[in-house]
Amino acid sequence: MAQKEISNHTYLLIILSLLLTGMIFTGLADSGISATAKGFLKIQTHPARLINDYIEIAGTGGALLNGALVGAIGLLLILVSRIPLSGPTFAAVLTMAGFGLFGKTPLNILPIFFGVYLSARLVGKGLRDYLMIALFGTALAPLVSTLAWELGLPPLAAVLAGTAGGIVTGFFLPAIAVSMLHLHQGYNLYNMGLTCGFFGLFAAALLRGFGHEYAGAFYWFEGTNPYLSLLVPAMSLLLIAAGIVRDGRKVWKALREILTIPGRLPSDFIDLVSAGGTLLNSGLIGLAGSLYIYLIGAPFNGSVIGGLLTIMGFGAFGTHISNAWPVVTGVILATLATGNSLNSPGPVLAAIFSTTLAPLAGEFGIPAGVAAGIIHLLMVLQTGAWHGGMNLYNNGFAGGLTASLIIAVIQWYRTNKEEF
Amino acid sequence: MKRKDFILHLIGEISSYILQGDPMRMVISLHQEEDGLHLCIIDDNEHSDEEIKKIDKALNSRKRPELASYYGAMTGHDLLGSSRLNLLGWQLKHCDVARTGSGIKIDLWLGGDRFDSRKFTIPEGKN
Repeated sequence: MAQKEISNHTYLLIILSLLLTGMIFTGLADSGISATAKGFLKIQTHPARLINDYIEIAGTGGALLNGALVGAIGLLLILVSRIPLSGPTFAAVLTMAGFGLFGKTPLNILPIFFGVYLSARLVGKGLRDYLMIALFGTALAPLVSTLAWELGLPPLAAVLAGTAGGIVTGFFLPAIAVSMLHLHQGYNLYNMGLTCGFFGLFAAALLRGFGHEYAGAFYWFEGTNPYLSLLVPAMSLLLIAAGIVRDGRKVWKALREILTIPGRLPSDFIDLVSAGGTLLNSGLIGLAGSLYIYLIGAPFNGSVIGGLLTIMGFGAFGTHISNAWPVVTGVILATLATGNSLNSPGPVLAAIFSTTLAPLAGEFGIPAGVAAGIIHLLMVLQTGAWHGGMNLYNNGFAGGLTASLIIAVIQWYRTNKEEF
Repeated sequence: MKRKDFILHLIGEISSYILQGDPMRMVISLHQEEDGLHLCIIDDNEHSDEEIKKIDKALNSRKRPELASYYGAMTGHDLLGSSRLNLLGWQLKHCDVARTGSGIKIDLWLGGDRFDSRKFTIPEGKN
């Protein structure tokens, strides 16, 4: 048993290293060393609130290098904490790498880690006990960038304000995260999205209260680039091949088993079924997501690729085709019913990230999933403004609110229905 | 978390699991030591060998510190969906599941870093 655990850890480490390295080489192949380095440096001091697509801002090379380094920092933190790589950590690394294409940078995530560490120490724990909160809590990295680069402070004061703001943010995240879990009972996969959205409401109100007006932030790459279009499908094929190599013929049986799991938090598919089946599942999700983007004619930009990497990551921690499609269908129906275009930014991201609600479909069936998707689209188009775009997991926030509403109703009905 | 609250959540989760089988009898026994505790729960339900194996696997799962402190906070808070013994498993030192005359007996041992298995009745070599 112990030998198998170590093997899974090593196998996942190799796969994740290949994926992150592949991102860097794709960027270098597209932009060259000089433009990649310049783009990367530009990103570090650029505002990070939603939606700041780093490919539009700094080019493909800089954005992919930034994303890979953000993912690598997450991976390093997991290794230093001596936590074995499995479903949740696999999801965290890919999510971090994905959001490194539109909001996270090596600089704006570090203060949040330190804040979570201080919080853990206060209650006699170590960072490893709150590792998932630290990794996913970097959704509030734009708050660090806002304090540092958007308030017009002198350089030293800007760095101090950003760092202090990030530390304070990280410090409060564990307390909020646990409370939010109880609200939706694990039916919103991106719980830190709800957590960070909740915290972001207060942070945004505070800054608005002191007179800061949020400048509009909308950078959305709309061009076509074969490197970007093929990146996620290539990564998906790698995951599929890795899954087949890992489990051999048993991989299809493992996949079938994964498809029967509701996916409610915390569902570690690697632990519950197998690493091979999980990698296959992640790869298939990546291919399905890419196909959807091709079909609706949306661009493969930083935000879209970031979203696809995230759902591939959560293919190891709650999402699979069977529990995801009803929710995505709900988003598509709501998009069409409200007269929006399927390939406009909000609905594109909502369709990808709505899979945060996949466990609702997994547990309560297709109608519940479709209803959740419809409500999710209506919510997510509003919630970004509430926190000033400072919570990168805006879909996790909207999804958390949606799940909490649906769960409250179902829970009320089930627990109050007369039985005696 | 305070010990009393911790125990309440543990009892909540494990009794929720047992009550899903609608037993006519359920007994919960608690034995505390300074650095740990022994929780025993007995019921009179029929349990298949496969179910017992599944319970044993969930409760004796490998340690998951990255999940136990955060997602483990859901232990005992479930009002919807099936009970999840793996949430308990991450927090245990050891667990035994045994068939009794008409039902099962689940022994759970929990404790902090200074947990001393000799103070409890954990079978030799199992901790």
